Amino acid sequence: MSQSSAMQSHTDSDRSTAAATETPTAHTANRPTDHAVGAHSTGVADHGRWSTRRIAMYALFVALAMAASLIELPIFPAAPWLKYDPSGIVCLVAGFAFGPYAAAIVSILGFLPHVFTSPWGALMGMLVALAISVPASLVYRRKRTRRGAMTGMALGMVIALVVALISNLLVTPLYAHMTVAQVAAMIVPILLPFNLLKFAIHAVVTFLIYKPITTLLDHAA
Amino acid sequence: MTNGEAVAELRNVHFSYDGGAHWTLNGIDLTIMPGERICLIGANGSGKSTLSRLIAGLTAPDSGSIRLLGQQVFGADNGADAEAYRTARRSIGAVFQKPEDQIVTTVLEDDVAFGPENLAVAHDDIGTRIAHALHAVGLDGLRQADPTRMSGGQQQRTAIAGMLAMQPRLLVLDEPTAMLDEMARADVMSVLDDLQRHGTTIVHVTHRPEETAHATRILKLENSVLTQVDGMSARVEAGSGDDAGSGADAATADVWTEDVEAESATTDVAAESVAADVAAESVVAESVAAEPAASATAIGSSDDGASVPSPSSAPLPSSAPLVSVEHLSYTYPGASSPALNDLSLTIDPGEIVAIMGPNGAGKSTLARILCALAVPDAGTVTVDGIPVARPRNHGTRIRYANRRQRSLVHATVGYIMQHPERQLFAQTVAEDIAYGPRNQGLDDHEVTQRTEDVMRLLHISHLAGRSPFALSGGQQRLVAIAGVLACQPKLVIMDEPAAGLDANARHRLHALIRHLRGQGVAVMLITHDSDEARMLADRIVRIPAGGAGVDSVGSVGSGDSVGSADSGDSKKSEAAAQRDTRIDDTHRRAPDRTAASLIGRLDPRVKLPAFLLVMMCAFAITNVRQLAVGACTVIGVLIASRIGAGRLWRSIRVFLVLFVFMGLANVFFVRAGTTLATIGSIPITDDGLAISALYICRFTMVIVMGAVFLATTTPTAITDAVDALFSPLRRFGVHTQEVALVFSLALRFMPTLATETRAIMDAQSARGGSIETGTPTRRLRAMAAIIVPVFAGALRHADDLGLALDARCYEEGIHRTHWRVLRIESRDIVFMMAIALTLAGIIAFAFLP
Repeated sequence: MSQSSAMQSHTDSDRSTAAATETPTAHTANRPTDHAVGAHSTGVADHGRWSTRRIAMYALFVALAMAASLIELPIFPAAPWLKYDPSGIVCLVAGFAFGPYAAAIVSILGFLPHVFTSPWGALMGMLVALAISVPASLVYRRKRTRRGAMTGMALGMVIALVVALISNLLVTPLYAHMTVAQVAAMIVPILLPFNLLKFAIHAVVTFLIYKPITTLLDHAA
Repeated sequence: MTNGEAVAELRNVHFSYDGGAHWTLNGIDLTIMPGERICLIGANGSGKSTLSRLIAGLTAPDSGSIRLLGQQVFGADNGADAEAYRTARRSIGAVFQKPEDQIVTTVLEDDVAFGPENLAVAHDDIGTRIAHALHAVGLDGLRQADPTRMSGGQQQRTAIAGMLAMQPRLLVLDEPTAMLDEMARADVMSVLDDLQRHGTTIVHVTHRPEETAHATRILKLENSVLTQVDGMSARVEAGSGDDAGSGADAATADVWTEDVEAESATTDVAAESVAADVAAESVVAESVAAEPAASATAIGSSDDGASVPSPSSAPLPSSAPLVSVEHLSYTYPGASSPALNDLSLTIDPGEIVAIMGPNGAGKSTLARILCALAVPDAGTVTVDGIPVARPRNHGTRIRYANRRQRSLVHATVGYIMQHPERQLFAQTVAEDIAYGPRNQGLDDHEVTQRTEDVMRLLHISHLAGRSPFALSGGQQRLVAIAGVLACQPKLVIMDEPAAGLDANARHRLHALIRHLRGQGVAVMLITHDSDEARMLADRIVRIPAGGAGVDSVGSVGSGDSVGSADSGDSKKSEAAAQRDTRIDDTHRRAPDRTAASLIGRLDPRVKLPAFLLVMMCAFAITNVRQLAVGACTVIGVLIASRIGAGRLWRSIRVFLVLFVFMGLANVFFVRAGTTLATIGSIPITDDGLAISALYICRFTMVIVMGAVFLATTTPTAITDAVDALFSPLRRFGVHTQEVALVFSLALRFMPTLATETRAIMDAQSARGGSIETGTPTRRLRAMAAIIVPVFAGALRHADDLGLALDARCYEEGIHRTHWRVLRIESRDIVFMMAIALTLAGIIAFAFLP
């Protein structure tokens, strides 16, 4: 029960964030906290502009996604070559904290370094990250509750799953000597469970860490 | 000399962080005239930084009026005037505490050019300004160097140069030397003296008395109001506020004092009783002190740890040492010289051993080895009877502790990393503290008991239900320390625990350390502060540069201070020290071969898409002729890039191994062709081998192209290319210039975050949190315990970086000039044609019989 009340306060602060993000207000004594602008504004960064703080925030989130995408954890013993990387969590958190646009930027730029080692793989990574984080943040934007976050992530997971499977069908034959049919045969035993597991970890961890991170964002502002 | 109007004029300025519940600045009046050099002093959390940001025009007050450089930026009636702020800011420079967070890119001259670009200074002018600015700070020779890899002192001078290039009339510096060692401090101060001589108005926030020497006025901020003080009393105040040697970090240390006030009624009594305890203990301590000295003489590995009686053969005192290290060596992967070399030392139960030594001597590495977080190359390490590392019977490699032994070590050794508050993650203070005990598998009752005990010990029981992120910096540090002590370690390793704390907070910390000793807990204290070491330690061990341990038993109280005593982030500085040498290397090789090569000089807007096209097309190669075309191109590119074979190999070997495996895996899927052999029931055919070879060649082409691209292209150039390629999207309302800047800043901060992540992972695994073992719930919790602090760190950097961008006058949508002018030249056209030919060849041979 105490959790739900805690959730409520977090909900409120987020709602004010959304308001401030979309329609930046002039300096007032009790202006709502904006994660991306902050109080005591000099007004220089108002009116639809990207404040330097927003740029800095996005940059650090992208850096975090890049760093996370280099981590490789084996999570699926049946297919040891499929590795889990936590960058999707960063995309989800960026989407929840700053909106779908931020989710898209972090998803795309976060995978850009991989273009130079595995161009098709990087493209696939970008698409999957976009598919999970953008829908999740769109839903959460409308419904800023714990349930909204869950619904958003569930929707994101479904879309990302479809995108992941389709892109696997197209890209895997480039990397291994397999026909599309052979890849399709791997869907049920390997690709589906791996991706489900991967997205489930994304969602659960995001869920676990989002509350403390909003607290942080509120205090940083 | 004070002709003309005031540079800054503040009237009745109020500022509050909590909507008026507490006023950080309460009615400040201040007038700064041209040519003045003002030093602003005051305790941690007194609001000096806030005031300096108001003067720099980076933040607005709650009320009052502010005039900056003739602009009424904030009026008593009409609040902030964005346009006036914008105008004033263009002539105000600001330099902040953390050197690293002010750097925006990875080439020095580009970094200095960033400000002038934002001011739309003409191209040739930017060149002159870069030259002057770099000359003024003494970095002329390093134009092409990477500032993110420089030492803290060089980075801070880079930041000042970045400001000077904007030709500010007023320069505001917020504790610019807090993170620097003595040498670097002196360099920065002499730059300031120079600027003062040339008439720049300076506002300098500082803790250090010696830095106020050339000030025209010293102002002290206390109890939210400003008073002018004369030099002498300032000296005393500044000295007591924060003594030299420990890096002040106002952000982390801010309101420790305040939290004492908050608790005062209930806690002061308790605190006094601890103090009394401590006093009693220190008597005991002194009598103990004699004994380790004696044993240490027996054990003492003299110069270079050469051949002295080995500890095991020496007559032991009453009990065996808790930690024994013999002939320990450690070399970082890829480093040429060892970080630790033949180090020997012992720590007895209940003993406080201070570890001192210059940056790069391997102090933090020693800590990681004792925590079973790093594997040494050679030597014997025993912790509480657990063999962490011991030599094998044959050969040079060592036998390392297994997983069970490592987790025993984690339970025995508590590791309080630098700025331990950076590892906080849980929703409540109590939960965070309980993390370690819970990982030890204790039952709920025991976990609660331990958590409560340690909170009582540190007087933070009243914070149990609060979010750790809602606390002041000082409180956060206490919570983090509690989280380590709750594991009830027999040895506590503290890495610069007092860094950034003011005098009051430091006293409490020292009382705690003595209390631990009274409880029979050994403490290994890594410090740069020789006073602290002398005051607390039974023994001081000095590790000289190069890491051969010298157990300098006699030096307790001998008063010799460490030559290059340094502040704050020694881990970071150690890394910086290593980088320094790397930078030197590149200078010796300068100008860089690859950068000057044909490929290196290509326009990035041509190079990036061309390389990507070839890389993507490589996947379409299915026959030998296509392979030949691709191979010709790759070899041509390799030659034209003048990348050495060694460098190429180093950058691709990891991927190559992976690709060989992936390629060979195809052998098992191909059934066509003549069977050459069978492995189990799987036939190996000649077709299978041919296909494997094809795939390996394809992957190799891709990775070689990628490696060449990265080796010949600076992050700045990649950013330019991304900006140019994305620019058509501007029509659709995409902020392409900002996206490109975000990308470039991300590239610049990625290594920093990776380093910090490793530090946090170390600290959490020292508390028994492992993402590799245990139940799924436990692993997820362990992951959260790493991810949350990593995010917290990223947000801290973002805050600093946002200010730094403001100080450089970056604004969305402004007209910027470019120092680096891109031009398509004939070589770019030739290159484009060659790439087009390659692609055509690959496509053509796909259809030709």
